[in-house]
Amino acid sequence: MRKHRYALGATFASLAIVLLAACQGNTGSSGSQSGGATSNLKIGLVTDVGTLDDHNFNQYSWEGAKAGAQAVGAAAPHSVVTTQSADYAKNINSFVSKNYNIIVTVGFALGSDTTKAAKANPNIKFIGVDQGICVDANGNPDSTFACKGDAATLLPNYQGLVFKEQQPGYLAGVVAASISKSGHIAAIGGTATVPAVPNYMIGYLNGAKSVKSDIKVELKYVSAAPDAKAFNDPAGGKAAADQLLSQNPDIDVLFQVAGKTGNGVLQSACDHNIHAIGVDVDQWVSTPDTKACTVVSAEKKLTKAVSDAIQRVNDKKDKGGTITLDITTDSVGLSPFHDSQSMITPDIQAKIDAAVKGLKDGTIKACVETPFGSCDNKNGQPPA
Amino acid sequence: MDFILHVPVIGLLLQFIGYLLSVMATNGSLIITLSTPIALGALCGFMNERSGVVNIGIEGMMLFAAFVGWYVAALVNGGAPSNPGPMGITLPLLVGLLAAIAAGVAVSALHAWLSISVRANQIISGTIINIEALAITGYLNLLISQNPIPSAGNFQSFVVPHAAASVPILGWLLTTFLAHGPITLTMLVLVIVLQVLLFRSRWGLRTRAVGEHPRAAETLGIDVIRLRYRNVLLGGVLAGLGGAWFTLEYIGTFQGGMTGGRGYIALAALIFGRWTPIGAFGAALVFGIADTLGQAVSFNPPTGDLGAVLSGVPEQVFSALPYLVTIIVLAGVVGRSIPPAADGQPYEREAKAT
Repeated sequence: MRKHRYALGATFASLAIVLLAACQGNTGSSGSQSGGATSNLKIGLVTDVGTLDDHNFNQYSWEGAKAGAQAVGAAAPHSVVTTQSADYAKNINSFVSKNYNIIVTVGFALGSDTTKAAKANPNIKFIGVDQGICVDANGNPDSTFACKGDAATLLPNYQGLVFKEQQPGYLAGVVAASISKSGHIAAIGGTATVPAVPNYMIGYLNGAKSVKSDIKVELKYVSAAPDAKAFNDPAGGKAAADQLLSQNPDIDVLFQVAGKTGNGVLQSACDHNIHAIGVDVDQWVSTPDTKACTVVSAEKKLTKAVSDAIQRVNDKKDKGGTITLDITTDSVGLSPFHDSQSMITPDIQAKIDAAVKGLKDGTIKACVETPFGSCDNKNGQPPA
Repeated sequence: MDFILHVPVIGLLLQFIGYLLSVMATNGSLIITLSTPIALGALCGFMNERSGVVNIGIEGMMLFAAFVGWYVAALVNGGAPSNPGPMGITLPLLVGLLAAIAAGVAVSALHAWLSISVRANQIISGTIINIEALAITGYLNLLISQNPIPSAGNFQSFVVPHAAASVPILGWLLTTFLAHGPITLTMLVLVIVLQVLLFRSRWGLRTRAVGEHPRAAETLGIDVIRLRYRNVLLGGVLAGLGGAWFTLEYIGTFQGGMTGGRGYIALAALIFGRWTPIGAFGAALVFGIADTLGQAVSFNPPTGDLGAVLSGVPEQVFSALPYLVTIIVLAGVVGRSIPPAADGQPYEREAKAT
């Protein structure tokens, strides 16, 4: 018995060491400092539910934090990976309590907890990815979305980075409608409750209609909430796409707006020999296993946006409030076409160029926008 | 009056049943596919629990096997495309499959040692496996993704010949049960084989004896410890297959946490299926159907009255369907499910007389 007890203790101890090693490893291996500039800034990043290896949203924001740290000569950033949405505040506070100078939070869903943390800790700089800051007159998060308070003066330490996803979505729609032979295309999103997702999809719908007014466009969502099923379940995403395609066998272009769940959507498109369009990052590069059918990706330049925000803090040029990043600064757009370049005839390229130009000079609107730059929508569908 | 009041409800119910059947008819093959990891996980649990070892680490075992199988297949593949045989079978994929099975067995060996030899708390052992698998595979995948290697692809589904598939009913049965990759087909065979072995073989009798009353089994000369070890390790083979389904058959690439809780659903399926292979498979099908139905209502809502009613139901209810089914099952609404009597109790040989 005694021997066994020691053996058990040893097992648990060794497991603990392995786990610790795994956690330590997550704090990043890019410790190298760039020549010249040094900085004492301590940078922490809290992910949304998911993982740092999602080849997508969390991962590229994390790359941005690393790039920003390197650019200003700070030590490599540390990360906390959120496993359930109840832990957002706890994970943010784990950095607050260790006196970090910059805390990056990734995802719309962390907005409310980041706002509270920014108000409680005016000396810490917060950077929120996909977070339009909406506060009441006292600087508290405003659940009614009246947004009466001026975030820039109430929370000068909080930069909310928002992308106009409808613009790359619109361009993806132009491409999809141009390459579709059947005149029936689809987009599968994680959930309509995260504005970025319907923004992409409504832009996609409008872009497709601009090319072919009678095109059939399915906008479908796999989940009703921003949960693991929406963004973190590739097998579920593939099943959803398989089901949609078995009911609508003539769909020949599939746009994924569902993070890791969507990587399963890409797989389904490949298995069905139809075209796929990736999201957020250049998925031809980030998920090479499905590059054969990935024509293009609707991108938002997460890495650059996060890195730039960190550099603004270091240069003491940061201002609070929501910063909207759009196509005029090339913060959003289409990825290169890579292997699919041959599909893009001069005619299609001309349509894309015209759309880019129109979006840039404002003659084309990707969707009807709310005052906060999101698409006006109900349940992810455009207003009738 | 009563009659008139109830007619609309009966009408709706009939419409709903019709809709359910049409969803099942269009998605028969998908439902079996979705139930594969749940069924394989439940079979792993079956092997463990029938011989008296509780295993809640199925989720972790599958995740670990999924990762190892994918990585080994990619390494063997080395980026060079191989010529696929029938069902997309290639040498790298087969090596990956064996590696996934080996990984499942290795994690099971840890569980067996902790719960049989060390007589540790079996729930804790399973929990450790779940947490550890998520952390280790996520970390290793992050390391690999710095310098990504191309995957070895995945097994393809068997294609039912067009002539056979177009026969009414028979064609549907053939595509539903046969249009799958090798792992799903193996699962279908294993369900039947294990069911027969459990009730018709010496091994089955001994396993049931050891799970119900190990002391009595030992007095009849059965080596309880050895049988438990063997069954838990065989369970690891099944969990390994379940993990391989994710990365080598259905998706073809690894992503952190991609088992998505199906290992836990497998436990519920095992209980729902009353600790028998056929029952567990049936339960896995129920989960597959609930999942497909929830998605169908949001993708292709039915028309008519039923559509009006269903569109009034919040979407969240349908997303919650598989979990509601789990709770109903666990609460024992569908008949009481009685576990093997010695489930979860470490066995200690009686002290030898000196």
